[in-house]
Amino acid sequence: MFRKNIIIKITIAFIITAFFSLQLNAQRWDVPSNKKAKNSYIKFDNNTAKSGEEVYTKNCKSCHGDVGKANGNKTLNPQPPDLSSTLTQELTDGELFYILNTGRNAMPNFKNTLSEEDRWKVISYIRSFNKKYVQVLSKTDPSKSKLVKINMNFNAATNKMNLSVVANEASGPVVLKDAEVMLFVSRYFGKLQIDKTIRTDKDGNATFNFPKDLPGDSIGNLTIVAKVSDEIYGEIESQTKLTIGVPTDKPSLTAKRAIWNVLKLAPWWIIITYTSIVLIVGLFLVLIVRNLFRISKIGAQQ
Amino acid sequence: MLDQSKTNKITSDLLSHIRLNYAFKLWMGFLITSFLVCMYAYITQLDKGLAVTGLGDYVSWGMYISNFVFFVATSLIGMLISSVLGLSGAKWAAPLARIAEIIALAFAAVAGLVIVMDMGRPERLINVFLYGRIQSPITWDVTVVTCYVLISTLLLYIPLIPDMKYCYEKTDNTPKILKNIYKALSLNWIGSDEQKKILNKSVLILSILIIPVALGIHTVTSWLFASTSRTGWDSSIFGPYFVSGAFVSGCAAVIIAMNVYRSSYNLKDYITEMHFDKMAKLLVLVSLVYLYFNLNEYMVPGYKMKKFEAMHLHELFAGSHAILFWSVQVFGLIIPIILLLFKKMRKPSPMLIIALFVLLGAWFKRYIIVVPTMEHPFLPIQNVPFSFKVYTPTLTESLITLAPIILVLIIVTGLSKLFPIIPIQETIDHYEETK
Repeated sequence: MFRKNIIIKITIAFIITAFFSLQLNAQRWDVPSNKKAKNSYIKFDNNTAKSGEEVYTKNCKSCHGDVGKANGNKTLNPQPPDLSSTLTQELTDGELFYILNTGRNAMPNFKNTLSEEDRWKVISYIRSFNKKYVQVLSKTDPSKSKLVKINMNFNAATNKMNLSVVANEASGPVVLKDAEVMLFVSRYFGKLQIDKTIRTDKDGNATFNFPKDLPGDSIGNLTIVAKVSDEIYGEIESQTKLTIGVPTDKPSLTAKRAIWNVLKLAPWWIIITYTSIVLIVGLFLVLIVRNLFRISKIGAQQ
Repeated sequence: MLDQSKTNKITSDLLSHIRLNYAFKLWMGFLITSFLVCMYAYITQLDKGLAVTGLGDYVSWGMYISNFVFFVATSLIGMLISSVLGLSGAKWAAPLARIAEIIALAFAAVAGLVIVMDMGRPERLINVFLYGRIQSPITWDVTVVTCYVLISTLLLYIPLIPDMKYCYEKTDNTPKILKNIYKALSLNWIGSDEQKKILNKSVLILSILIIPVALGIHTVTSWLFASTSRTGWDSSIFGPYFVSGAFVSGCAAVIIAMNVYRSSYNLKDYITEMHFDKMAKLLVLVSLVYLYFNLNEYMVPGYKMKKFEAMHLHELFAGSHAILFWSVQVFGLIIPIILLLFKKMRKPSPMLIIALFVLLGAWFKRYIIVVPTMEHPFLPIQNVPFSFKVYTPTLTESLITLAPIILVLIIVTGLSKLFPIIPIQETIDHYEETK
């Protein structure tokens, strides 16, 4: 009897533990070890926390709520945690940065919408709620990012875009090895990523497959944006205009007469209908007023 | 030829209410005092802006716009009684035509002011005329309301011309200035055949012209809603739905006015029980049409319950607006229809109470059309105080909403003290024909 009870209890305990550990696993972030160790090149202080708060209010608050008040959006699944909680605070800066960069489920990624500086400032704001936190600064020197030059070469025969990344140090050119590179094309709303995020090879080169059918402006110009992220040199962004898109010359939506356009460019059918109705009603009213004068005149004559 | 004594009796009966008695002064004093109180509320709104109201970012149309729709709706009755019934040869409606026209003119003219009251910066109204786009239903609305007010004024005035002559000749104790106004307005009327011919022709033209304009005024008002893609407004039957609803509130307003004029101006021989009986039947008819449109408007989307529609409809059928929604449908439409089917109910006194319910229901029906939709935007409302999400009218706002209603009563009372409320010439002609 006693033994049976024990077995049941152990089984129940096991099931519960298994269930909770599954739940926890579902919420845990799987962050690669090299990302986990990443640190901020910005020193966290009151000023960075303050500007981080502004970024937080605009981009994060609608789901996570006010930090420390646990008033996030309860309708989402999984629920966005309060960022002052231990669950969040025991993550490394690198892990937080990774979460911001990749996003998951309902959480969007902020890699392309917030600058690296702003992303670190948000983390600075989140850390300001943790009294025990001690910052480890990265060895990245953002002032050195100015030295880096990104060269873009497009091969029309193979449709490949080749990038070479070189830092012009005083001691001579240094190629950036194993740096993260992303390629984008500017569109109406934001940037469109081309191919995948890759790393430079030992010569500082990265090659992307470039699509043939991207619509450009009237002569086929595309604005190409390359983003390089390096341990030492930080984030570097470079833009060029290349005539490698499909020439597209669509008139603007407000160029022709349309219902949404200004009064001068109203559709003819509305102008004609409206004006003729007003004119017809007006004409009848004039006729009636004339009749009134006629009545008065007849009476005056007799 | 009708004997002179009968003509004299009709004339003196119908002119008898054109005098300032004690009751009138008391009633007018009460109206003006209440109006001034409401205007004080409006001045605070002018001073502090729309912040004194319950309106906000999400619910930006509230009681003022409901009021506007109600006013435009009620004004449509002029077209139905004086034009549609007149043209179709329904002679019984002739004595009611002027009452209907006065109601139409008062409500339509004040409707324009109601819109100005909804503006936080009323001095910017001029921009509608300077920069208005003719693609916008708002411009159409301004145009068509102006046209309707002009035509209604003419349709009220032209049949009055012969009566102005009587007013000038037969009224005593009226100030000299009023006498001069009557003389000027009578346009040298001598009742010659030629004058009568022109007058009848003008009335005929206006009676026909007012039908499309009146349909236009309320259809365009409905398009202010229906041309947006919002839940509850995105409907293709909004035009006829609004027009049929307009006749319901208009009929109720005319029944109330008939009742009041009849008892306070001693017009029992001219507004008879027959008129009430016919008006009751007319009210049942238009209410049934309106009920039919209501069924279409709520039952069809209610059967499908599309995601966003469902949110809106649940709120109306069983949510926070349910009590108002069902009260309006039951007490403002279904019970009045059933009651008026009984002959006993088609008498002046019970009809007064029924019509008051219908008119009150009609006002709240506009509220039900305007407000719940504004509380359900497609984009979710996040991180705002609870008071932003639901609309709660303030006291100031309620007083400002009351102001135009009082103004209409002032106009309707005032006009009935200046002009005969039953057409004199037409009544005489009618007796002459039936003798």
